[in-house]
Amino acid sequence: MTGISARAGEEQTREAMKGSIVYLEISSYGYDQIRPWKNTDVQQRGGVGCATGAYQVITPAWNLIDAKLIKAKVSGQNEYIPVKIKTIDYEIDLALLELEPNTMKKPLKPVRFADKFQRGDKLNYYWLNPVGEMTTGQGYLDRAELQHSTVSYASFLNMIVTNTSQETATGQVFCDGTTPIGISCWSEDDSKTGLIPAGIINSFLAKANDANYPGVPAVGFAAEALLDPAMRTYLKMPATMKNGVQVTNVYNIGTGSESLKAGDVILSIDGKELDAYGKFLHPAYDRILFHHLITSHKIGDDIVFDIWRDGGKQQLRVQAKNFDVGEMLVPYYEYGHQPEYVVTGGFVFQKLTRSYLANWGKDWDGKVTPHLLYYLRDMAFKPTVQRKEIVILSYCLPAQINLGYTDLSQLVVGKFNGMPISRISDIVKAQKLNPGAKYDVVEFELDNPTVVIPRQQLPQADAMLATSYGIRKLVNVNP
Amino acid sequence: MRMKNLELRIENSKSYLPICNSKFLIFICVLCVCSICQAAGLEGMEKSVVMIRGAGQEFDFVTPWKPKAIVQGVGSGFIVGDNKILTNAHNVSNNKYIELQKEGVAKRYLAKVAFIGHDCDLALLAVEDKSFFDDTKSLELAELPGVNTAVETYGFPMGGRRISVTKGIVSRIQVDTYSHTGADSHLVIQTDAAINPGNSGGPVIQDGKVVGVAFQGLRQADNIGYMIPTTVIRHFLADINDGKYDGFGSLGVMLYPGLHNPAYKDYLNVPSDQQGIVVIETIMHSSVESILKPGDVLTQIDQYAIDNDGRVEIYGLKLDMSEVVETKQIGQTVELAYYRDGKPMKATATVALNRPVLEFARQYDIAPRYVCFAGFVFVPATRNYLETWGPEWGKDMPFYLRYLFRNSMQLNTDRERKEYVVLSEIMPDEINAYAEEFKSQVVASINGTTIEGFEDVWKAFDKPSEGFYTIMFMGVDRPLVLDAKEAHTRQTAILEKYDIPQQTRLEGQQ
Repeated sequence: MTGISARAGEEQTREAMKGSIVYLEISSYGYDQIRPWKNTDVQQRGGVGCATGAYQVITPAWNLIDAKLIKAKVSGQNEYIPVKIKTIDYEIDLALLELEPNTMKKPLKPVRFADKFQRGDKLNYYWLNPVGEMTTGQGYLDRAELQHSTVSYASFLNMIVTNTSQETATGQVFCDGTTPIGISCWSEDDSKTGLIPAGIINSFLAKANDANYPGVPAVGFAAEALLDPAMRTYLKMPATMKNGVQVTNVYNIGTGSESLKAGDVILSIDGKELDAYGKFLHPAYDRILFHHLITSHKIGDDIVFDIWRDGGKQQLRVQAKNFDVGEMLVPYYEYGHQPEYVVTGGFVFQKLTRSYLANWGKDWDGKVTPHLLYYLRDMAFKPTVQRKEIVILSYCLPAQINLGYTDLSQLVVGKFNGMPISRISDIVKAQKLNPGAKYDVVEFELDNPTVVIPRQQLPQADAMLATSYGIRKLVNVNP
Repeated sequence: MRMKNLELRIENSKSYLPICNSKFLIFICVLCVCSICQAAGLEGMEKSVVMIRGAGQEFDFVTPWKPKAIVQGVGSGFIVGDNKILTNAHNVSNNKYIELQKEGVAKRYLAKVAFIGHDCDLALLAVEDKSFFDDTKSLELAELPGVNTAVETYGFPMGGRRISVTKGIVSRIQVDTYSHTGADSHLVIQTDAAINPGNSGGPVIQDGKVVGVAFQGLRQADNIGYMIPTTVIRHFLADINDGKYDGFGSLGVMLYPGLHNPAYKDYLNVPSDQQGIVVIETIMHSSVESILKPGDVLTQIDQYAIDNDGRVEIYGLKLDMSEVVETKQIGQTVELAYYRDGKPMKATATVALNRPVLEFARQYDIAPRYVCFAGFVFVPATRNYLETWGPEWGKDMPFYLRYLFRNSMQLNTDRERKEYVVLSEIMPDEINAYAEEFKSQVVASINGTTIEGFEDVWKAFDKPSEGFYTIMFMGVDRPLVLDAKEAHTRQTAILEKYDIPQQTRLEGQQ
């Protein structure tokens, strides 16, 4: 394409995008993690939706966290269009939204994303601004690599665009010439932007309209680079075998959790050889991390792992699996619904989540109670039948009934009325135990006092606490 | 030589300023105008209070064979008893040289530390030249002063080089943290008499007798200075009577003031009119470990009744019950009365050091131990080591060290464990080129043997081994493996390359 015709093509794309791109206005209303009975302030955010159907658009999931009301603006129409979330997947940071057809003058023109990856190509990107005007920017396609989702535990393939003309992370549509290749999901100032690539978008769209969107497979283990020749010799690997990444931790959930063992070396996945860093040679993207080989499967697929174990090669057939974030011992997030809690006698019991700990602000992992961080850092993916959640005494709302205990906080609950606590809802069950007893008795991990709550005073005290601290609902647990 | 910076230390949300004057030295040239007779009004204190100049050298707790910068400071001291000089431990910690100067006397006298108690921030100095004590006067110790009574502080604070006196009152008396170690708590007396850098170690006087040793101040506050009371000084002096300093002991029990809650009290079967404090746990190896249980309620220690805050009435004041233990030396006993399951019980407990396996207190004067093997430097996990993470070490140090610092008493179930050992540094070499991920991690085992103390590390590597050394670290999923033969082969070359004088420094070596 000559310079002149390329420019003409860009102009055509820009015009065409007017019928495909919508401006999203998102009002979010989340929950206070520390006072989970109350909401945070309403926040307004802007975003970009790209049509994938006549009345459907995609946008990055992070921008919809705790969304309460979403409305869209399309080019050439003043009225807002009501929007609903059809499917959301935080692990690949994508959401499919539905616009209300009756409120639209005309349907949208769906965009077809295509896998096109030419390193160094100049990209144009498009979005609609809050007053419905088409706006463009430019950047250069630099590389493809796996990135940790900004809102989840998972890593997924991103295309990295450099020298973008401004900050862009809310779903702007990036085109190589006239070909849409992805939407933006994060950015570092105006220097770097991450794109959700066409491959991930198209796999998502293939299932996003199903009644039960299955999600993408989750990696059920951690692996570290295997560079040290001494370790290779120790594992009795032949000197000529330079490939393979070492499994260092196997979770209780996710793909590979049932068949891999710590110490295994993964030599290849589906026949794709992994180097010592765990990267394989992708025909288009050069070397990228093995996680992509797992997450690009469909749930239920068999994945073939060639591994080195006990001084020899073995082959494992591993089923691609994922899990709901709520299955984690310490969930990474609790978006869109009220955190679970029990307030009894002024003691605030909560389920430990990463979102809860992140409330300690900048450098929170250095500030939070180390015993709580231990569960997040070392045990988050290791729920067991005996222990499905970590329940903590978050703090105590001072009242007559908890006199002497008011400084207790950040303690892990071990037993409630003698019952080992496996999840927050167990507290409600445990409160019904020992009907003749005078007290509810709470025991904690590590060396801490036993909390004793007089049952006879409890109804009156709870009523008073609810009134004086403005707690409309003292218990919010999922059955 | 570097000047010691005035250091801000954060302890329990307060900022203490150890008041050792270092800026003084830079004023020497401009402030050398002498007036001969300034003694009037000093009540003869110029014969008892001396200026202490010290030069010390701190240790490097990451690569311990390297000496650190030399620091100099000025403090105060005073003559007590039989020609000894009492001062603060922090004036003469890690010292290489101590020089004394008397008010109005040009001659300088060399001194050395006779006894030092870092846990109570006191030191006793000896002077070889007996002429030092010509025309000096030893000061007597008084009892605890009353609150709102007048006191005077004497010493050599910043702002001049002559003896200085300030006046104020006793503001309050309570148990508080001594910032020198950052972990030990004893009785302190707060005064509004100005205490500034350089006053450290000087006497606080009432009616001609010593009621305290000025030792720390609270920054970000007006006129809050602290002195070490004579109860602590007497304990120190009695302790060294046998020729060595043992330190302050404890009962070795963790307590919670929970009996304010009537339901908790009833649940623990304690009579409703009885006050006391709840036992949460006993410390491993303490004398009470086999006596007390969680849920016991201590009600009396010796003749002192314990209230629901864990306080007793002693010296006419309401003070923490630890104050009764502070009257005892290590090895002495206290009588305890307590309730268990509704029954009144009695027991005798022996006062002991009862230190945590990861030492909370900053240490001085002891050259840190290390092992350097194959370029891997192993050191004991101590507070000094943890503080190498800088002013915000509590937040910035690696997770597992933070976890152990906070919870070592709960997490350690190994009765043989003496301490934790950390891989503090890796001196780069081909043998350790891939081991960076293990730096600053806590050693769990070597070749399957649990590392329960520093000596175990050296023993593990000292054994000739075929094959590999396999080192596991706490909270790290995979081992560090080291070709044993290759590691021994590289040892000498690495020590030479990095000018490491010896491959190990064990207990007591310099």
